[in-house]
Amino acid sequence: MNTNKQFTDRFDWVLGFLLLLFLIISIMAISSAQTTGQYGINFIPRQLFWYIVGMVIIAMVMFLEPEQYKKMAWIIYGIGLIPLIVLWILPDTISFVASRNGAQSWFHLPGIGSIQPAEFMKTFYILGAARMIVKHHENYPFKTLKSDFLLLAKIGGLFIVPFVLIMQQSDLGTGLVFIAITAALILVAGISWKIILPIVGTGAALGGGLIWMALNMQDFIVNTLGFSPYQLARIYSWLDPYSYASNEGLHLISSLNAIGSGEILGKGYGGREVYVPENHTDFIFAVIGEEYGFIGASLVIVLYFVLIYHLTKITLQLKDPFSTYVAAGIIAMITFHVFENIGMTIQLLPITGIPLPFISYGGSSLMGNMLALGLIFSMKFHHKTYMFGSQDDD
Amino acid sequence: MKKTKSQTTRTSKSKQRAHLIFRMNVLFLTIFLLFTALIFRLGYLQIVKGEDYTRILARTEEVPVNTSVPRGRIFDSQGRILVDNQAERAITYTKMQTTTGDEMWGIAEKLAALIEKDADAITKSDLQDYWLRKNKDNMYKYVDQAEQDAIEENEELDNVEKSREMNRLIRDSIPEQELDAFTEEELEKIAIYREMVSGYALSPQIIKGENVSAEEFARVSERLNELQGVNTTTDWRRVRNSNLAILGTTTLPKEGIPKSELNHYLARDYSRNDRVGRSYVEQYYEEVLQGQKSVVKNITDGKGRVIDTQPVYEGDPGKDLVLSIDTEVQARLEEIVTARLLEAKRNPGTRHLDRMFFTMMDPNTGEIIAMVGKILRRDPETSEFARDPETGGYIVDDYAFGTFTTAYEAGSTIKGGTVLTGYRENALSIGETKIDEPIYIANDDPKSSVFNRSGRIPVSDLTALERSSNVYMYKIAFTLAGETYRPRESVDFNFDAFDKLRNGYAQLGLGVPTGIDLPGEVAGYSDSSKDEAFNLLDLTIGQYDTYTPLQLTQYIATIANGGKRIQPHVVKEIRKASENGEEMGALEAEIQPKVLNIVENTQAEIEQVRRGMRRVYQGDQGTARGAFADFKYDGAGKTGTAETSAYDPVEKKLYDTVTLSHVGFAPYDNPQIAYSTMIPWASLESVYKTNSSTPLTRELVDAYFEIMEKRNSKQKEESLHPKIIPSISDDSIDEEEETE
Repeated sequence: MNTNKQFTDRFDWVLGFLLLLFLIISIMAISSAQTTGQYGINFIPRQLFWYIVGMVIIAMVMFLEPEQYKKMAWIIYGIGLIPLIVLWILPDTISFVASRNGAQSWFHLPGIGSIQPAEFMKTFYILGAARMIVKHHENYPFKTLKSDFLLLAKIGGLFIVPFVLIMQQSDLGTGLVFIAITAALILVAGISWKIILPIVGTGAALGGGLIWMALNMQDFIVNTLGFSPYQLARIYSWLDPYSYASNEGLHLISSLNAIGSGEILGKGYGGREVYVPENHTDFIFAVIGEEYGFIGASLVIVLYFVLIYHLTKITLQLKDPFSTYVAAGIIAMITFHVFENIGMTIQLLPITGIPLPFISYGGSSLMGNMLALGLIFSMKFHHKTYMFGSQDDD
Repeated sequence: MKKTKSQTTRTSKSKQRAHLIFRMNVLFLTIFLLFTALIFRLGYLQIVKGEDYTRILARTEEVPVNTSVPRGRIFDSQGRILVDNQAERAITYTKMQTTTGDEMWGIAEKLAALIEKDADAITKSDLQDYWLRKNKDNMYKYVDQAEQDAIEENEELDNVEKSREMNRLIRDSIPEQELDAFTEEELEKIAIYREMVSGYALSPQIIKGENVSAEEFARVSERLNELQGVNTTTDWRRVRNSNLAILGTTTLPKEGIPKSELNHYLARDYSRNDRVGRSYVEQYYEEVLQGQKSVVKNITDGKGRVIDTQPVYEGDPGKDLVLSIDTEVQARLEEIVTARLLEAKRNPGTRHLDRMFFTMMDPNTGEIIAMVGKILRRDPETSEFARDPETGGYIVDDYAFGTFTTAYEAGSTIKGGTVLTGYRENALSIGETKIDEPIYIANDDPKSSVFNRSGRIPVSDLTALERSSNVYMYKIAFTLAGETYRPRESVDFNFDAFDKLRNGYAQLGLGVPTGIDLPGEVAGYSDSSKDEAFNLLDLTIGQYDTYTPLQLTQYIATIANGGKRIQPHVVKEIRKASENGEEMGALEAEIQPKVLNIVENTQAEIEQVRRGMRRVYQGDQGTARGAFADFKYDGAGKTGTAETSAYDPVEKKLYDTVTLSHVGFAPYDNPQIAYSTMIPWASLESVYKTNSSTPLTRELVDAYFEIMEKRNSKQKEESLHPKIIPSISDDSIDEEEETE
């Protein structure tokens, strides 16, 4: 273990400072979102509490080196699956399983609150997959198309178990996050473009085709392909919420009204006029967009971009492939959360229930993200610059 | 060997690393593009479209709310109030789109403590609703588990059907004694909640509109800020002080706007529970009588709750209408017609007589002075005449609207139209003499004039009108049809003559809508087959097509005023709502005379017909001479007796009857009134003796002039704001009593 340097030199102060900024934004947005007292609870102390818990998690995660995570990766992955399996098997009448907004993906623990295991599984999955990719490259130093297909199959196998369990909870948003993480891992794992491009092409064509059919061949898609009208409704209420007034459509309209009417400068703290449901969690960006306008909202987006840029920079400094894969997975995870969450509030993407990292109110989400950042902190903290280059440990 | 492996591993590792950095850059570039897309989309929404969204926000906050502005009142020409509004204290509740059931129960609970509300209207389903709310957490307690499972496991039901079935199961499971056990206060609360939910979002719903005591009103008013959506206000009930049927009726708020016209009204910012005119004046002048609603801007908090409402526009009460009808004249004439109708029924052969009409209008302005229609009530099931249970006599109903919604053969009254058409089509010249003789076509029975069944008498156009020559009219028809009359020969008519005649009549108002400002007018009946010579002859003497009594009045008014067909109207003025309740409001609009067309005859031709008609009243052989010889107002007119078939609704067969009619105007120079009388199916043809419509008309016209003279001697002063005076009728018909 490297003890040459002082703690102050090894701690990632930039990342810490970024987290502090997100904390401030989160508290301001949540406190404004609840000004009307519509939730009957004050979320500020709770969010602060979760931030403190998150920091403890970071500290604990930093304690171990990436190398140790690499060794434990399989165990962690396995442990992460257990609560998902429990949720899948147990009937919803058991008191500590809570069904929220139609998704049965929460444990309700007395005294602590609700825990959503899927939030942690994302990071555990990244660890497992990274470990697996490293092992694969050790076993197959010369990559061929055949070995690439094998790697793809392995990643696929690792991905499909938590993905199926999460889709079982009808939690589409988290499922999509898993897809995004997997896509990033496949990209950085070095699988040949000859495999990636056709997959991306097929995926894009399939997705585009389905949306096109949903709009133009409704009978075919419902009767022949077996999609339910509910799934189509999601598409319609996204593309044309004004003529398709479902709950989601109305949700989107209120979000658009809120953000759009923020114009350039916004209405200032507490000045929002539009009621957007769930505006302290998944729709918190509507509060930011309305109150701080284009300038404030794009600053928040830029802040995320700075975070991603910082993480990427760290990743590129790391010479240990395991850490690089883990960091890439985490980058993909955060990016997708930000893109999907903000995208759905501004009609760029359909509405799926996922929170905005570090800003939305929610213990599980915050702890899951802190856990992931803890790994980055750990990599940076235990980063052994002098050992890289020619001094590979055979 | 070992070294080689180590070297190759190292090379592959460095290659891998270069690869990894490249892939990381690809990932980063993708992320950069995604974030750029977010910023661009955000910029589009907030910068390009920002103002649009701000405007949308401003608009959705302003909601027009019906604050029950009083509907316009209706006066007669003398300022007598015929339809009034009666103010009433009311407690209303306005539901917002975001209002939840819980919020409404909360308000119902508070209101129940403040007001008395009787629980009569509560239904079983209301009680069940309340029970479900009370037992929210334990609603399955009486449900049979097996039945519940059966619904849940039924594969044939979709989720909606399942929940509907489950709902039914739970409701049915509630024991009766639990529903009966609710306390007085609970029942009051249920009754109030029931009224609250029966309204529509954003339309104030009356929670209590009758018998609100001053104390209740004050108690609720004091606590309005605790009672979200509740308001204390004034509601208006519609009260008619006249039994004049053409005033029409309105819908009741609890009935709402008739479904068939819902879209029409909703598009005009009406609420679903607004009063709207359902018939006649109330319906025709709906837009005038209905005021402008006040517009309130709702200030909402972030949760969508209304925290304050600010008036944006105060609203405007409906405009008042002043009718051209003088109810004193109207009532007097109605009295006479009713009496004569009942009297006539005592004569033999009058089994089909059940109605009489009389309409009078100003031939210069089109103002209706009186519109009288009386009909004997029939039992709706047997069609027999209904009898007053106390007196045993007939029951007479107002049938004023029958003057423009029903049509009859008018008989000779229309001969003036035939003569004018003859002139216009060059089938006749002024002063032309024709021989009145029985008309024989081929081997058919002869057709002749009533006054001359067998002889040959030369008659001029004036005499033809004076004595009501049928043959003179037939001969005009012959010429119009391009044929010359030769006794006992068959004829070859050009049946374009039908169109020529009908066109001529239509110019005078016969067979076309008069354009009166009341809904439901009919044009009368005209047969489309034009191939029968006898039908053409009958058409010229008013025994083929049918006309409404009002058309006859318009026809005689057109002749009276020298050829202008004027649209009749019952509304004379539109006025602003009265400011003090004693004088009428400012004049908003005066209905101007509207000339529908000018008859295509020369003034000389029209004057000739007028002169002919004066001889009907004053000539030695005038058909109305008996009744009108001593008429001091120098009138002119025409009588008519049509041989018609009456359908007997009891025996369900046709009888030969006569329909009597009379048209006239006075004074001859500068006519002030034009009038027509119509007595359909006055008696069986076999017992018919004299035209009773003529003495009746004389009596009615005399009654009118008598009232006018009395009034002129008093010399009323003209005022910008005429005084409002009470109705002369003792009737007071509340809207609730109306039955359609």
